[in-house]
Amino acid sequence: MNAGRYIGLVGLISAAFVLAVNGQQNPVAGNPAAIREGASLFRANCSPCHGLNAQGGGRGPDLTAGRWVHGSSDADIFRTITRGVPGTEMPANGFDDSETWAILAYLRSLAPAKSESVSGDAAKGQKIFWGSGGCSTCHMVQGRGGVLGPDLSRVGEARSVPYLIDSIREPNKELTSGMLDPNNHYGLPLVYDTVTVVTADGQKVVGVAKNEDTFSLQLLDTNQQLQFFLKKNLKEITHERKSLMPAYSETMLKPTELQDLVAYLESLRDK
Amino acid sequence: MKATALWVLLLCGAAVLPAQVTYQRLLHADHEPENWLTYSGRYDGWRYSALDQVNTSNAARLVMQWTFQVADLGQFETTPLVVDGVLYGTGQNNRAFAVDARTGRPIWRYQRNLPDKLQPCCGMVNRGFAILGNKLFMATLDGHVIALDTRTGNLVWDAKAADSAAAYTFTVAPLIVKNEVIVGISGGEYGVRGFIDAYDADTGKRRWRFETVPGPSQPGHETWTGDSWKTGGAPAWITGSYDPESNLVYWPTGNPAPSDYGGERAGDNLYSNSMLALDADTGKLKWFFQFTPHDLYDYDATQVPVLLDADWEGRPRKLLVQANRNGFLYVLDRTDGKFLKAAALGQVTWAKGIGPDGRPVLNPNLKPNAAGNLVCPGALGLTNWYSPSYNPETKLLYVATSNECDIFTSAPQPYRVGHDFLGSVYVPDPVIRPTGALKALDPLTGTEKWSFPYFSNPNG
Repeated sequence: MNAGRYIGLVGLISAAFVLAVNGQQNPVAGNPAAIREGASLFRANCSPCHGLNAQGGGRGPDLTAGRWVHGSSDADIFRTITRGVPGTEMPANGFDDSETWAILAYLRSLAPAKSESVSGDAAKGQKIFWGSGGCSTCHMVQGRGGVLGPDLSRVGEARSVPYLIDSIREPNKELTSGMLDPNNHYGLPLVYDTVTVVTADGQKVVGVAKNEDTFSLQLLDTNQQLQFFLKKNLKEITHERKSLMPAYSETMLKPTELQDLVAYLESLRDK
Repeated sequence: MKATALWVLLLCGAAVLPAQVTYQRLLHADHEPENWLTYSGRYDGWRYSALDQVNTSNAARLVMQWTFQVADLGQFETTPLVVDGVLYGTGQNNRAFAVDARTGRPIWRYQRNLPDKLQPCCGMVNRGFAILGNKLFMATLDGHVIALDTRTGNLVWDAKAADSAAAYTFTVAPLIVKNEVIVGISGGEYGVRGFIDAYDADTGKRRWRFETVPGPSQPGHETWTGDSWKTGGAPAWITGSYDPESNLVYWPTGNPAPSDYGGERAGDNLYSNSMLALDADTGKLKWFFQFTPHDLYDYDATQVPVLLDADWEGRPRKLLVQANRNGFLYVLDRTDGKFLKAAALGQVTWAKGIGPDGRPVLNPNLKPNAAGNLVCPGALGLTNWYSPSYNPETKLLYVATSNECDIFTSAPQPYRVGHDFLGSVYVPDPVIRPTGALKALDPLTGTEKWSFPYFSNPNG
């Protein structure tokens, strides 16, 4: 092979590759067999985070809402599935290409979930979040706020309106319908597990467990300070089985205020 | 003769040492507690060491002496062998190594050149070597059995057992019996058809194969419907035990495939989730006992069988005890497989108990379905592949247990060669955090003598 032909061939291969990555459409779009296969693959691999019906779970966003934050074309979603999303909990996945396309065919076949409309005023909601609601005491947005609860900088992308409403009104409600990570068999604490300990000198400390094993406990206390304990030095350890987040009743947060707050949270997305 | 030639002759002469580990040494491994010669330490599966220098009075003061980096990521599942001062281990991605056990200095390293696409269900793991003579034997992730030279790690032979493109993989540590290397396949999550193989330790030539899913015309085939036997699973991924007196190998098998959906495999699905007693020379089945017929919960019976001789109802009897992933401790007569007793190891809801014939009395309301059903134990079982241990001084069996219930969902799934074949998914109970415990049990009754709670469960 001479050099010219070689360069030409490399050029052709590169062009084909770029086309495949950037422009390719799902070769099995709408194919019923592929949709069935995609459904089983989704249940086995994706549902623990995204929910059995792809409507979102404790860790992964609703995939039926038509909001494709990381690109909505077939090639974009293919890339999101195969490479994951750095900086989020979405991992890279080792599916065959044909499996990835089948999952995509399944996702495209889903009717969008009925989304609850948000009638509130995001600007008013923002004031509640940073003021009267006290949300920012524990939650951070764009680098400002507390650290006891989840960072909400992108919560509007990741969570549906009903999920947000439940999280505010009934933070202890089981939101995930069994959507914990099935591979989490390493005994990591549940996210935002509230723990109360009593130290040897009788001091009571409440916080969120960041990690724990048979012999030690790592706590972020309600003063938002990390505290590390050896269990042999503790008198008592209680897993509260409830969130530290207060349940915002209608007296604490009127229905209109709730709508405003949710409108603000909905607006929080990657800029 | 020139001086150099003499020198070469002397060198070669010095290298010709007697074979390092004889079968006699393996048979009497309990006579040399300073070594660890087989996966379970000895043929009866006791995983017991007579060494007593480290004990309850000083364990808290142990200090690390050395570390050795295997230079890879992922978890270890290896049981290292220790032979005459050398530690032989296997690591992630079929890496392997020999180190000076006193200092951790490496003597050699080995890494198998694996194909890009492999499908082990649960990590690129390996549970260890077997040793005989001057050879170490490893069953590889790409479906081969290989022999390495103990002194250099050089490849001595390489035998292909199965096609890794169809998701046949090995993770098991081989068992040496006489001059045979016995291994069992993995791949129950991918619709393989399971088998147990024996290879000639000198040449790598296959001596026999026992297929754990019987084909047409073989006994047990009637326990499968249609073509389901072809993708029936029943892998054999944990090392069995051996009784030299009867020359029987006791090797357990794993789940039928697909693991959580049984609609297309009506019947008991033999020999999934069973204990097999195989003639070591021929691989012929002497008896079997199935713990979980027509399993829908992924309850592989791949837990190390413990062989005990004890008085049973007033007379001495040769027993086999297994703490099973399905939540029960079983006592069998190991001469004929007769069921003697079962006792729950913890919270069990899938079955109301075990009947007098050894079959589970099912809880019919707890089958996996499309919406999901909460069942105990979870798919990873009340115990799993991590080995039990039997102490002849206390006469107690030590079992690591997991306290976790799972929501099992079930749905049909088309089979595709080399792809997962699960029939849906299970997730942990979202409300109750999984925990675990190390339990000391009377092996004949299952009575708990003591329990040490773990914060988390021992699965990994």
